[in-house]
Amino acid sequence: MPKILIPTPLRQFAGQQNAVEVGGATVGEALGALTTQYGDLRRHLYTEEGKLRSFVNVYVNDEDIRYLGKDATPVQEGDVISIVPSIAGGSAVETSAPPVALSKEEVLRYSRHLIMPEVGMEGQLKLKQAKVLLVGTGGLGAPLGLYLAAAGIGKIGLVDFDVVDFTNLQRQVIHGTKDVGRKKLDSAADRMHDINPFVEIVKHEVALTSDNALEIIRDYDMVVDGTDNFPTRYLVNDACVLLGKPNVYGSIFRFEGQATVFAYEGGPCYRCLYPEPPPPGLVPSCAEGGVLGILPGVIGLIQATEAVKLILGQGEPLVGRLLLYDALAMRFRELKLRRNPECPVCGDHPTITQLIDYHQFCGVPAQPAAETAPQDGDIDPTEVKARLDRGDPFVLIDVREPHEHQICHIPAARLIPLGDLPRRVHELNSADEFVLHCKSGMRSAKAADFLRQAGFRKVRNMKGGILAWSDKVDPSVPKY
Amino acid sequence: MIRIEPEPWARMVAHARATYPNECCGAMFGVRNGEGKTVTAALELENVSPGPQASRYELRPEDLLRADREASARGLDLIGIYHSHPDCDAYFSETDLKHSCPWYSFVVLSVKRGEFDHASSFLPNFDQTAADREELSY
Repeated sequence: MPKILIPTPLRQFAGQQNAVEVGGATVGEALGALTTQYGDLRRHLYTEEGKLRSFVNVYVNDEDIRYLGKDATPVQEGDVISIVPSIAGGSAVETSAPPVALSKEEVLRYSRHLIMPEVGMEGQLKLKQAKVLLVGTGGLGAPLGLYLAAAGIGKIGLVDFDVVDFTNLQRQVIHGTKDVGRKKLDSAADRMHDINPFVEIVKHEVALTSDNALEIIRDYDMVVDGTDNFPTRYLVNDACVLLGKPNVYGSIFRFEGQATVFAYEGGPCYRCLYPEPPPPGLVPSCAEGGVLGILPGVIGLIQATEAVKLILGQGEPLVGRLLLYDALAMRFRELKLRRNPECPVCGDHPTITQLIDYHQFCGVPAQPAAETAPQDGDIDPTEVKARLDRGDPFVLIDVREPHEHQICHIPAARLIPLGDLPRRVHELNSADEFVLHCKSGMRSAKAADFLRQAGFRKVRNMKGGILAWSDKVDPSVPKY
Repeated sequence: MIRIEPEPWARMVAHARATYPNECCGAMFGVRNGEGKTVTAALELENVSPGPQASRYELRPEDLLRADREASARGLDLIGIYHSHPDCDAYFSETDLKHSCPWYSFVVLSVKRGEFDHASSFLPNFDQTAADREELSY
């Protein structure tokens, strides 16, 4: 006769036995015999309709009967039947049929969506139930915020702690001239609510960090990354992978942009594409290199399109494909991306299982160096001015680009762009004393390092660049 | 009423903290005395959920079978399943309920920012349509 092992919690209903030998030629008959003998067991294993309860798995000699003959799996003398429940769960709420409905006003508002079968009432309700986190309300965040609000995303979280300034307005179209000096969060939320009062907007006035990212992102279905720096990009990526949330990525520089969807159901993540951040300072930011104001509009709307497609479950998501856009050539190209099985965060054997220190990982300080701690060889603009006025013998060199020189310059400065320095270094006498400047002090620091390595002894970097010159010495010099 | 002794309780909390930001899961062994239960040992089990483990857990049936046999070998009953909810409260979610089983007490540990916050225990019904809160002490 086959033997049925009784799970420990059920032994109280089977005369405290750990195993019962029963008759029967199949699993179904054996279990039937068991529950006939011990009536109290029946409701633990069978529904009132006489079906095995959905959580009950039955094994014959450690083989799941679902892969054998189910109830009809034959059993004989010496076979061991085990009963084990299937258990799972988790904090996540499973998506069920949307219980919400659209109001009359919403039906009118979304009518151009509703008449398309690909969206329809079902899709619009999905949008209404969706929760999307926008990291950054700058260049990419601006078009994203406008269109995602207009499309009727139910809940949009915004992460930003910046204030609107004049240099933002050339591209960050969610903010207006009247908003300069306001918090970007307030400015963006007002504009989005004006477009669509039915959207819930959650303001997260923080810098996203390893301490708060999981907590913030957990409440959303997906993240749309509108950040402009590497530490935050890696942070968003890792947090999305760890939480299993898609990361709709975009980046922009000058005339070129990229977009893709990371961390989506077996697809690659940002680390699969870029395992290591570039050395600090190698890739200039938009503040350093500039950006065509329209460019983030194009890239941000590609991200918005992908976010909406993911929510609707329509079309082919931009997963495993990196879309490259060149505004000057007006061309789109695609690169194939694959998940890297060796990826430290989304690979088969991940080594990163919690968030790390991303500023350290990217080799950049968490905060800009304190004003009061000048670097070796730094010189303040006021001191440069005093020395110029005294007629001290030194050479002032502007290492910016010619088009920047056209915007503003210091009359005494000689223009040698950083990129030209190596081949023009012979124009300079290494015995002279040099002061270098650029826009804010980054490029001139690199130029100073270069000259020192080339054997120049007296090289100093004007701290804060021409922007600091405008602040401290000559306010008539325009800032850009 | 379910009472968890200090040694298994410390083990469960340590497991939940170590697994953060993912969910942990495991088995609780102990004895019944009428309606009351006492947990005297805990056993960590692997979370094999193919979905995001930060908000999902799943037990391998073979592991549960092994755990039950181990309980039996130690003269104990497998009386409950525990799992953690990282960065949210110790409620019994729809997902928890749908994949539960009335044979066990389900203890949920809330872990916030990597630290244990609070816990609750639940007793699901046969149809997995509702769960009663069970008094928990530890």
